[in-house]
Amino acid sequence: MVGKTEPVNGSVKQAAMSSSSSNPSRSDLLSSTFSLKSLKLKTKQQELLIRVSILCLVYILAFITRLFSVLRYESMIHEFDPYFNYRTTLFLTQKGFYEFWNWFDSESWYPLGRIIGGTLYPGLMVTAALIYWTLRLLRFAVHIREVCVLTAPFFASNTTLVAYFFGKEIWDSGAGLVAAALIAICPGYISRSVAGSYDNEGVAIFALLLTFYLFVKAVNTGSLAWALASAFGYFYMVSAWGGYVFIINLIPLYVLVLLITGRYSMRLYVAYNCMYVLGMLLAMQIRFVGFQHVQSGEHMAAMGVFFLMQVFYFLDWVKYMLSDTKMFQDFLRITVTCAVVAGAIALGVGTASGYISPWTGRFYSLLDPTYAKDHIPIIASVSEHQPTAWSSFMFDFHILLFLFPAGLYFCFKRLSDATIFIVMYGLTSMYFAGVMVRLILVATPAVCLISAIAVSATIKNLTSLIRTKSKTALTTSTKGSSGSKASSKASLDQSQPFQKNGAIALLFGAFYLLSRYVSHCTWVTSEAYSSPSIVLAARGAHGRVIFDDYREAYFWLRQNTPPDAKVMSWWDYGYQITAMGNRTVIVDNNTWNNTHIATVGRAMSSYEDEAYEIMRSLDVDYVLVVFGGVTGYSSDDINKFLWMVRIGGGVFPVIKEHDYLVNGEYRVDKGAAPKMLNCLMYKLSYYRFGELVTEYGKPSGYDRARGVEIGNKDIKLEYLEEAFTTSNWIVRIYKVKPPKNRW
Amino acid sequence: MVKLCVLIAAVSLLPILCLSFSPDNPTDRRVLVLLDDLSLKSSHSIFFNSIKSRGFDVDFKLADDPKLSLQRYGQYLYDALILFSPSTDRFGGSLDLAGVLDFVDSGHDLILAADESASDLIRNIATECGVDFDEDSSAIVIDHKSYAVSETEGDHTLIVSDDFIQSDVILGSTKVEAPVLYKGIAHSVNAANSLVLKVLSASPSAYSANPSSKLSSPPLLSGSAISLVSVVQARNNARITITGSLDMFSNRLLRSGVQKAGDSNKYSKSGNEQFVTELSRWVFHERGHLKAVNLRHHKVGETDEPAIYRINDDLEFSVEIYEWSGKSWEPYVTNDVQVQFYMMSPYVLKTLSTDQKGLYHTSFKVPDVYGVFQFKVEYQRLGYTALSLSKQIPVRPFRHNEYERFIPTAFPYYGASFTTMAGFFIFSIVYLYNK
Amino acid sequence: MARSTSKDAQALFQSLRSAYVATPSSLKIIDLYVCFAVFTAIIQVVYMAVVGSFPFNSFLSGVLSCVGTAVLAVCLRIQVNKENKEFKDLPPERAFADFVLCNLVLHLVIMNFLG
Repeated sequence: MVGKTEPVNGSVKQAAMSSSSSNPSRSDLLSSTFSLKSLKLKTKQQELLIRVSILCLVYILAFITRLFSVLRYESMIHEFDPYFNYRTTLFLTQKGFYEFWNWFDSESWYPLGRIIGGTLYPGLMVTAALIYWTLRLLRFAVHIREVCVLTAPFFASNTTLVAYFFGKEIWDSGAGLVAAALIAICPGYISRSVAGSYDNEGVAIFALLLTFYLFVKAVNTGSLAWALASAFGYFYMVSAWGGYVFIINLIPLYVLVLLITGRYSMRLYVAYNCMYVLGMLLAMQIRFVGFQHVQSGEHMAAMGVFFLMQVFYFLDWVKYMLSDTKMFQDFLRITVTCAVVAGAIALGVGTASGYISPWTGRFYSLLDPTYAKDHIPIIASVSEHQPTAWSSFMFDFHILLFLFPAGLYFCFKRLSDATIFIVMYGLTSMYFAGVMVRLILVATPAVCLISAIAVSATIKNLTSLIRTKSKTALTTSTKGSSGSKASSKASLDQSQPFQKNGAIALLFGAFYLLSRYVSHCTWVTSEAYSSPSIVLAARGAHGRVIFDDYREAYFWLRQNTPPDAKVMSWWDYGYQITAMGNRTVIVDNNTWNNTHIATVGRAMSSYEDEAYEIMRSLDVDYVLVVFGGVTGYSSDDINKFLWMVRIGGGVFPVIKEHDYLVNGEYRVDKGAAPKMLNCLMYKLSYYRFGELVTEYGKPSGYDRARGVEIGNKDIKLEYLEEAFTTSNWIVRIYKVKPPKNRW
Repeated sequence: MVKLCVLIAAVSLLPILCLSFSPDNPTDRRVLVLLDDLSLKSSHSIFFNSIKSRGFDVDFKLADDPKLSLQRYGQYLYDALILFSPSTDRFGGSLDLAGVLDFVDSGHDLILAADESASDLIRNIATECGVDFDEDSSAIVIDHKSYAVSETEGDHTLIVSDDFIQSDVILGSTKVEAPVLYKGIAHSVNAANSLVLKVLSASPSAYSANPSSKLSSPPLLSGSAISLVSVVQARNNARITITGSLDMFSNRLLRSGVQKAGDSNKYSKSGNEQFVTELSRWVFHERGHLKAVNLRHHKVGETDEPAIYRINDDLEFSVEIYEWSGKSWEPYVTNDVQVQFYMMSPYVLKTLSTDQKGLYHTSFKVPDVYGVFQFKVEYQRLGYTALSLSKQIPVRPFRHNEYERFIPTAFPYYGASFTTMAGFFIFSIVYLYNK
Repeated sequence: MARSTSKDAQALFQSLRSAYVATPSSLKIIDLYVCFAVFTAIIQVVYMAVVGSFPFNSFLSGVLSCVGTAVLAVCLRIQVNKENKEFKDLPPERAFADFVLCNLVLHLVIMNFLG
């Protein structure tokens, strides 16, 4: 408990320190407090000691609060995407960088294969591999899986450090400390960076914040070295996550706002140009990004602002050189018209000829949230891409949600280049967080920083109110008084007790709020964000029951099927099957080929004989389905089935969604549509289920996830046979029979 | 001395024991014949003797022998089964419908003969193989135009047929001159089955009906849709022959002369003996049995098989195909074996050239598409065993250092980059030492 | 109207040139360097328009090396120019050292991107 409330006290002390750093009586007071130490620390050194110790504690706090699932279950990789990242990291450490860069994987997307080396963001894997090799060099014999599991918490700790420096750059070191503390435990960030969540975002948020900090530092100092550092930060971000598009659009927008509001300066020119040119060059070294910086519509804003800056500063230079304003006005008019016309023509020609590709579906659906539902069902079907509910905001941000507008107010009161940046970052990221749940993660650093400004400024004001009385009392006693001063001080003295009591009350209120924040964050981390989702837990009659069916099924596949067997399942499980089952899959989570996924969706939604033809054409040997009817697990394939129908029907019009619904309702009991009762997915999920009694008092074949008795209990399979069902019936594997011998 | 002789005899007997059915020697060796009654041994002795003379061990048993079993401790005791027991309702011992079908599905051959007393069991075995006997149990094939001329019979149930399948592999290279005498029930082949073939069809004027009663409705089976002898070559190369006439194999019909009604040709010997002997040669894999071995591929200039190819590689492919001549493997010579380089559809399709000694080879360039390909050799010819080989091989795109190193059209860009570098050096020297 | 604009243009050029002559020689060296870089870039773009953009990465690396040197030189000019109040605390050695570092990184990346 001490560790959690410490930063709050520390920030108070820090605010107090900075407001009266050079007061000799203060140092006397403190030196008496630290009289245990033989060396007499000067105030500046004491301040440094406090700050460093706070940062160390926050660093450790950020790491250990993410370890819940490691302590409760075991050190394993969570979810689906991290399994792919783990597999690629394993490959990298085993085969070396050149093999990894050129890797062509024939075990996924059978029979098309996938050029993994050219279609992934290598930042995360290279980072984990470097950490692994460093530890090995220091003779720590760790397994790469442990490194992968703990990479995200390690980088979360690093993010707190960067948040401290960023806060210090924007406001002052007090705000930096509060920002570090807030971001260490903020649930919005923890959700994607717990131990075991080995995903790009864990490293990408660190890179994002680092890039922004270095850029703001470059704009503040105007130094080429800082701009170069921010270019490298941008390169790291590009190598880590596809969300780098946010940076390459926010920074030009920020430059544009500065130009429009008249805050432009030479430092801005140096910072932006160096960062843009070098950052763009470095970013193009990543194979997956390629030439997008000059060819894609999403990156054109940066190029436009680059050219605009050249024109702008050229005009500024000419204006400086010319003494005659009238001549300059004419020149200005001509140049501006030429530039605008040239720019418009270039943009128009580029877009019309298709050379500049339009915004891709993933990012376009951020600007137009209804686009994905109508046109791209795969994007719409991912649960992380749904619009955010208010409850999610409250759940992930708690008090930061109302400290955010307060912080915006403080930023507007003291506008500088840096605060304008953080305001823009906060507003744009909050808009995008409202569009897609997954992007709350990108908004978290901005919200934490701005809230930290509010907290720090408020607490500083309150504590300075508390200290004014004693300060004025001291000054009157030590310095003597002049008449006017005495009268004002007298009036001040009368309102002093009221103000001081109010300030103390508000201060306690602030501490109480912050402590509630801490307990909320810890509770959220423990309950909501620490589940590995590959191991399920439930509360049974005698404590906790663990369902480890997924791994049971994958290891069965690994040990009981021929090495070149091909497994067909819905794309959710592809990465896990390849990583843990070590078998070739037909489709996986990368979802790059919609037609292939639609073929699998069509096979799952067809009758058994049509599906058999499709499976023979894809050389499928085993089919894997996930079924939650026995345990009440609701993320199973029957609940996802309508998405299979929609995606399959998007490419093959023979699959129609209304064939599977009854009056627009999705049912699996006796009243279900006949095509639904006989399609392959239904048969494979409910084979032999009709004989099973799942709940006391309910008839046999009672589906606990849907809460109904199933409609078709007597299922016979003609072309497949059951190969394996896990102990809680969650994963079921079927073998595709070879064609009949005599027929 | 005696012990030494016994030892030598025992040792020399070992190879004989090993001469059972094996992939190296595909001809069946041990045949089980199930009979309704043992008089068939003598009434069909020519047929059985022709089989024995080709070196088979023929084992005769009654169909309801309680000690009947096809396998012991998981091993099959026989390589082929001849069911000359049309009226048996239940096999004795541990044999049943599923047992017979498992026997066939594990690669063994079957000859099934029925007649008008065919039981449900025999009919079910035939249906499972794609052959449907006439449901009317009293119906026989009658042909009023293509019947055998004889002094005694007059109801035209002994018919002749010469509508053979055109296949030298099944029926031998010598054409069967005399027509075949047939007396029995009709069957049709199931249209849904793609593996069943009609070897001997009835003439267009045949029909299947009860000869002793009046026809009340048009017969279900008539004309050339009636098949008299059908074969099935299963996917695992088991061969099944089904016919509706047990008498076709009998000595009486084998020895008798034949004259078709309305035809002036009179043959002194019917074609039955040649027909059934050649057919049994085919069924017991003495002819038309192919094997393909040594499917190899390698890059031009290398000998090892690589684990992965690159696009635009040149590769060579070879396979060896042999035919069993009854005693040894002879090279199979033909010019229509093709190989496909297949990924959901064939990207390359080439006819293999042969060196007349059984080796087929070709070379081609890997297409410009990456993915997981298969070398597929699919060879299905009438009467021959089906060859279906495939070998999976991935094809990768270029590595980053396998592209052209210096592209001529890009020389100005190389020049510009180096000029800029040189300019930087010169500029910094000039700038630093200015003034 | 046209004559007045041409007269205006001439007057413009005259005043620009007279103002430019007053700049110190070190800045003029930098300006020359920038012009050289831009000129090289324009030649490459013209060449690409004629021949086509086949090795696009080579084209990009060539053009971007010129643009990058131009931009970095302009940044150096800004930092070294004594008339810029914002940079009066920056020692010119530090500015040049930053410039050299950035150019080093630029040329290394260009070399990697070229082929």
